[in-house]
Amino acid sequence: MERVLSKIAEVTSDPYAYVAGLKERKNKKIIGCFPMHVPEEIVHAADLIPVVIWRGNEPVTWGHAHVPPYDCGITRSFVDDAVRGKLSFMDGFVFHIRQCLQAGEFPFIMERHFKPAYQKILYLPAIYPGDPTRDFALKELESFKTSLEDFTGKMISDDSLKKSIEIYNKNRSLMERVYEIRRAKPEILKAKEVMQIVWSSMLMPKEDHNELLTELIKGMEEKSVKAQKERIKVIPVGCLCQTLQFDILDLIEDLGMIVPDDDLYIGSRYFANPVNLNGNPLKALADRYLTKTPLCPTKGVWDIHWGDEAIKRMRDNDAKGIISVRVKYCPPHTCYYPDFRSKMAEEGVPEVMIEMEHEIISLEGVKTRLQSFAETIGGV
Amino acid sequence: MDIKYKVNRLVTTNDIRPMVDKHWADLRTAKERGEKVAWASGPTFIIPYAMGMKSHFMAGYAAYCGGIGAADEVLKVAEATGELSESCSYHRLHMGMAEAIKQGIEINPAAILPMPDLMVSGRLCPEMSHYAEGLYRRMNVPVVTVELPIAYAKEDVPRVKAFVYRQFKEVIIPAFEKVCGKPFDYDHLSEILTVLKKAATIRNQCWEFFKDKPSRWTLWDYGVSIAPVFYLMGKPESITYYEKLLKELQERRAKNIPAIAPDGEKYRLYWDGWIPWAFLGKFMRKLIPNGAVCICGRYPWEFFMHPERLDPEHPLESFVDAFWGEDSPRCFSNKAPKGSLELISDLIEEYSLDGMIMFSSKSCRLWNLSQPDMMDVLYKRHGVPGVVIEADMVDASMISDSQIDTRLEALFETIDGIRRR
Repeated sequence: MERVLSKIAEVTSDPYAYVAGLKERKNKKIIGCFPMHVPEEIVHAADLIPVVIWRGNEPVTWGHAHVPPYDCGITRSFVDDAVRGKLSFMDGFVFHIRQCLQAGEFPFIMERHFKPAYQKILYLPAIYPGDPTRDFALKELESFKTSLEDFTGKMISDDSLKKSIEIYNKNRSLMERVYEIRRAKPEILKAKEVMQIVWSSMLMPKEDHNELLTELIKGMEEKSVKAQKERIKVIPVGCLCQTLQFDILDLIEDLGMIVPDDDLYIGSRYFANPVNLNGNPLKALADRYLTKTPLCPTKGVWDIHWGDEAIKRMRDNDAKGIISVRVKYCPPHTCYYPDFRSKMAEEGVPEVMIEMEHEIISLEGVKTRLQSFAETIGGV
Repeated sequence: MDIKYKVNRLVTTNDIRPMVDKHWADLRTAKERGEKVAWASGPTFIIPYAMGMKSHFMAGYAAYCGGIGAADEVLKVAEATGELSESCSYHRLHMGMAEAIKQGIEINPAAILPMPDLMVSGRLCPEMSHYAEGLYRRMNVPVVTVELPIAYAKEDVPRVKAFVYRQFKEVIIPAFEKVCGKPFDYDHLSEILTVLKKAATIRNQCWEFFKDKPSRWTLWDYGVSIAPVFYLMGKPESITYYEKLLKELQERRAKNIPAIAPDGEKYRLYWDGWIPWAFLGKFMRKLIPNGAVCICGRYPWEFFMHPERLDPEHPLESFVDAFWGEDSPRCFSNKAPKGSLELISDLIEEYSLDGMIMFSSKSCRLWNLSQPDMMDVLYKRHGVPGVVIEADMVDASMISDSQIDTRLEALFETIDGIRRR
């Protein structure tokens, strides 16, 4: 278990070095996929390596000249990397520009400063009811596949796509198993280790990640841990598109709380919903995208409530409260949040919202909020 | 000696306020007359219009609230009821209005609208879905939802347009047929387009007077004149308005009357981004004393820039084409950054511009991310400098006078410096 966690920590501590090295080792091209909904399986089936674009760990410098202070951190951070010439190992990008307004403008800046050999703009629609939406989503994926075939000069057969989907589905089921064990033994991993595990899945080839997960799961199953019943279970929710700062996760635990499960993008959202592999694999990928749960505020879902989902997850885990993690200047989360909070109030569920930016301006302020939340729900 | 600049106000623009007030008053009282009411975002309001319904239009409502001075109090209700200030101010205005109705909070009665029989969530930008979702969750209003993408690259235009057309035909129209209990009225749609086409054609003739040196009118004059070629479309008075405006501009040209006295503008400026509806006077007071006149912008130019393409014989096809077609003035050339660059380049040359103001809305991220890079590209292409002004369309808490003054001063000094070379 320690060997796997150490390897995963190495991958996520410097994603640039890892992905650049990966390109050399595997002798394959790297395609950066903008979070959160690009179907990586199609890139994988084209014999390329998909990696999910990440927020850098370094302070933003030149990026400030290109991105206003009231736009989100991942955008500013990745633009910063582009203008500083840190992305030369990337061979291509895929941008899903209908997710939020910032995603719609982002490719323009990127291609002006660093345009790799391949770029694809995806228009995955809001998942509104009706045939036009379903048909358009499928056509978008067909167009995505064709663009990759044009780039590589090789056709992507249904069989190779199915094989890629199987590898991704296996990763999803292994990740689900990790979460299942964690739910039963929340003390077994620190919250930041779990986030690193998910994040590494976004960076590593899934075949390699599956091997690591298999070893990790064996270790997790064998390891016994002492239950810390005094710790209060809480569920972090949100943090769309980007990693939550590890310092914040550590703070939650240092304040006597414990995270048995989550509703985070770099968390359970990433591996939710296996692709149902009956029939046309592209259609199966479209169906996965068109799935309403876990509810994502970027997808235009009306008839179910994110708050209900979060409360169910909290109750299923016997948790005592919800910590909403809102990335500053994330309009989808920001617009949804008032209704989310109202739902918590209606249901009498303790909830606190913390905001995070690319760089932590004051951990002390976050600590105060979390400390008072922990006290409210009966902690230390 | 310093020149004392002063606006020569147009007479015709005085006619706008009564037209706009009547539109919103008719909407507010529609239910009293037993009429059905729609709410809409994006250009989808034309469908309820064709069915004889009164319809709200999301951005139009925000502009109206800004114009009548109601934005502050409605935004305060939104904030007091939980909205976060960094979300779209148009979104917050609607949430504030809904909460005022729900909780009986007193606000300017002109800002209160009747709940719709059907709301079209035309997701031109994702916020247009967020606001409608919020209203649905809080007020349980019936909704029809459609995705209205903005094509990023020209090669994407055909498939995006086909998707949009299909949704108009298969999703929006059947939903209104159901609500109204009658078939869709294509004849009335044609009539609306016939009037719109004529009004927009005359409007284009008015645009020619921006090319005069000195300019005969300002972008703000045109800004307040947009409604007749958009959400007041189809009304005969929209043609009358533009005929009168054209006549006044012709008279100004004949008598050599400039937009600003005594002898016209010192700086001819491009304005990027939204029109700051609640702060038109504020910006005029900052620009005019410096001899600066805003002439054009990609947003004000998006409303049926090519009226010749509207075809009342094929109303739905040509309406969708006008927004999403090849060289579409709205969804490629005016909204997406790559298309916009070419449009702005053309505007800089056609209208002999000296500088650019990039109005960066702190609460709307439709354009603000690409503005610094666009400004850089355009400066390198045309030698025309620009500044970014950070503000908002209607939210006064996001306006900083000193920031605006400093940046405008920098722009004017830069233009002067270029002229001295």
